[in-house]
Amino acid sequence: MKTIKNKFLKSTYTLALLLVVVIGCDREISNEAVLTTFSNNPAVFLDGFSSGLQYYPFGGSKLEAFSVDTQTKYQGTSSMRFDVPNVGDPTGAYAGAIFRDDNGGRNLTKYDALTFWIKATKSATINEIGFGQDFGENKYQASLQNLRVSTGWTKFTIPIPDPSKLIKESGLFWYAEGPENGDGYTFWVDELQFEKLGTLAQPRPKILNGVDKVEQTFIGSKVVVNGLTQTFNLENGLNQTVVTAPGYFEFTSSNPSVASVDDLGNVTITGTGTTKITATLNGIEAKGSYTLESLGDFTPAPTPTQSASNVLSIFSDAFVNQPVEYYNGYWAPFQTTQGQDDININGDNIIKYSQLNFVGIQFTQPTINISDMSHFHIDIQVKDQMQSSDYLIVRLFDIGSDNSFGGSDDSSAELRLTPTTLSTGNWVGYDIALRNLTTLRGKNNLAQIVFVSDATITDILVDNIYFYKVPTAPTVAAPIPTKPAADVISVFSDAYTNIAGSDFNPNWGQATVASQVPIAGNNTLKYAGLNYQGLQLGSSQNVSGMTHIHIDYYSANSTSLNLSLISSGPVEKLKALTVPTSAGWSSIDIPLSNFLPVNLSDVIQLKFDGNGDIYLDNIYFFK
Amino acid sequence: MNFRNQFKLKSLLVYSFFGGLLAINSCSNSESQTVTTMKTMVWADEFTEDGTPNAANWNFDIGTGQNGWGNNELQYYTDRPENIEVKNGMLYITAKKETFQGSNYTSAKITTKGLFEQKYGRFEAKIKMPWGQGLWPAFWMLGDDSNGTVSWPAIGEIDIMEYRGQQPTITHGSIHGPGYSGGEAITKSYTLPNDRFDTGFHIFGIEWGPSYINYYVDDVLYNQITPSKLPAGTEWVFNNKQFYIIINLAVGGSFVGSPNAETEFPQEMIIDYVRVYK
Repeated sequence: MKTIKNKFLKSTYTLALLLVVVIGCDREISNEAVLTTFSNNPAVFLDGFSSGLQYYPFGGSKLEAFSVDTQTKYQGTSSMRFDVPNVGDPTGAYAGAIFRDDNGGRNLTKYDALTFWIKATKSATINEIGFGQDFGENKYQASLQNLRVSTGWTKFTIPIPDPSKLIKESGLFWYAEGPENGDGYTFWVDELQFEKLGTLAQPRPKILNGVDKVEQTFIGSKVVVNGLTQTFNLENGLNQTVVTAPGYFEFTSSNPSVASVDDLGNVTITGTGTTKITATLNGIEAKGSYTLESLGDFTPAPTPTQSASNVLSIFSDAFVNQPVEYYNGYWAPFQTTQGQDDININGDNIIKYSQLNFVGIQFTQPTINISDMSHFHIDIQVKDQMQSSDYLIVRLFDIGSDNSFGGSDDSSAELRLTPTTLSTGNWVGYDIALRNLTTLRGKNNLAQIVFVSDATITDILVDNIYFYKVPTAPTVAAPIPTKPAADVISVFSDAYTNIAGSDFNPNWGQATVASQVPIAGNNTLKYAGLNYQGLQLGSSQNVSGMTHIHIDYYSANSTSLNLSLISSGPVEKLKALTVPTSAGWSSIDIPLSNFLPVNLSDVIQLKFDGNGDIYLDNIYFFK
Repeated sequence: MNFRNQFKLKSLLVYSFFGGLLAINSCSNSESQTVTTMKTMVWADEFTEDGTPNAANWNFDIGTGQNGWGNNELQYYTDRPENIEVKNGMLYITAKKETFQGSNYTSAKITTKGLFEQKYGRFEAKIKMPWGQGLWPAFWMLGDDSNGTVSWPAIGEIDIMEYRGQQPTITHGSIHGPGYSGGEAITKSYTLPNDRFDTGFHIFGIEWGPSYINYYVDDVLYNQITPSKLPAGTEWVFNNKQFYIIINLAVGGSFVGSPNAETEFPQEMIIDYVRVYK
């Protein structure tokens, strides 16, 4: 019952507004015009719909939840009856509606509260009940949350946060309530009306739930001032807090050159420096404030290039993230770390941790199975100045097959990042092969990623936390060569005329299974299950006029791959290639001087040795 | 206001259905109603001099008395300006939440004992109330104790105004005497219609004469107490001695209960003036 979808044709309302405006403009200022104001009828439902009142149930709710009841009533002839459905009711998952004045709205400025009598078939907690929802801007919405009702008629008061705003309010009443512990029930509302009680006092508006929040930010960042409430002391001495729409508040930025704030409490950071966002409601300073320290321009982390189908993402705007319980567990009592996934800079969501000693991201519902993944990626930007002894440990934690914390099946692995690679003020991306994390024995029930600095590094930004796999076969062709053919002696490439007569699978007693396969329409050499593999050139080649040999290679699973050139004798020399190729095709240009003492005037063979499944393309000498 | 350990909330209700009282109340809207008749001012403090209250008019009661001034009150009374000060033409009594001399709250209490005492007259004050659970301001009087030879309740007590911070629309007017004290006091409550006592100043007064005390709020006379209202066999102790004025803001105590988490501090009782007529 947290999400209520307002599905409604707005056009009717817009039309009504338009008519009112046109009529208003048409008239000249006269005594008559002054009298033309909206109805101040306080009644919403006494013994029937007040003039103009219309019922609009929420989309997805039980449309027939509301009825007029002439049997059960507090007084008079009838009451409003609401039948909350059971879980699984095919006619709707919850009860909820707005009751709107379709005569253009009411002038409610002389009242101070919406009051009503209510009773239910059992003690229950109504999720939300209030006024100001009009399927338009809901500009002056005010609601009670979690209203406790009982089986006896009880009168409730919803204070109007600032009556002077309600010069034309059409949202006279709304509610939303779901089943209680799976069961529906019925409640009745009677004598629903606006009143001038005169006994509401001590208004105490709050923003950010009354907290003085301080946050570092950047140009382009957007934040929202939320947690808006107004509290009045009622005649019975009790405080009644109303969840209050931003339209009642006046927001102020103390330093408009740093940030601006609009009528809805949306803050946009436009400059460097510090500003404090505050608000008033009907002239009273709201408790709570938002101090923003803008550090200036911001460079986002590089956008990931992996295909979404090969990724399990914990936190990235580039992918659909896995369900995460929290990005900061605020683990008591020793954790000092503040901040979580609440930074948004030009649409880029970022995790920001400050006062870091340790902090955890948890995802146990469900845990994440990374057994099919090959790599872990994370982008980190350190904000504070580092000492050489500082460190940041990134710990991956798997809770094992029992799928719960504790027990001998839990395991973890740590990456210890130091200022050798970390850089203050710059993003650093880490791609860690999971097979190197030997202490992470389980990979089926990953549950946490924990950051530990023991307060050596205290301020970091984090982005693009995800696991990915490199597909065993490339999905795209190797890059098309650009060297002019005149500068190339090509062994294997669709782009050039190759040396005639080469044997790509001579029988040297190898176990390797060699073949040629099309990758995205491009002929590619594949060595599956490599131990070693020769390549017999069609004729001896004099490459002494060339400077390099180029190779495009791809392997998701190889841990060792060497390329050798061989001249008559035989004289051979190898060059180790970096595997696996975690980011797709690797392209390498190897200076031929690396292969001395091979006789470059008489190269007769190439040889690959190592392990895994290797894809090769565009093997050519060039100058 | 003293020695009310046995106070029961129910007693307020018990005393609220005197037929005669209702009749007076219903008169209050009549144009012929006369709220007050005594027009000659004999004593007043308009609180025009900034600083401490005028020492010619007021004594301080300091500390916690015995057993929280007989009522299990929680505050420690001081004469510090943060608890009592004249400014802007008003007397501010401020209840604070602070640890002080073993108490968790501080506030102030002043009396005219030995400085101004009078039998009969019209006593009124214009006051804006504090608010919140556990706050107990009062404007009241005690009879002279003849140098300690007479004790409460025999000395008599007239409570012109008592108020519970958790009932911001209600004031209580009471008398206490032998056989009708504490929970058995003669009391009537008055509810301000469509308004509250903590949002503006209101006048709380009595007009006291031979064998009667009339209670009023602003221009509404809401009660008259005469010897006929006393329990059988008890004595009317308000015709034979002078009384002095007391103003205080208590925190907690038997009458109101303790403050709770929602009670906001500091809280102020603001007195515009105190005037006495004959």
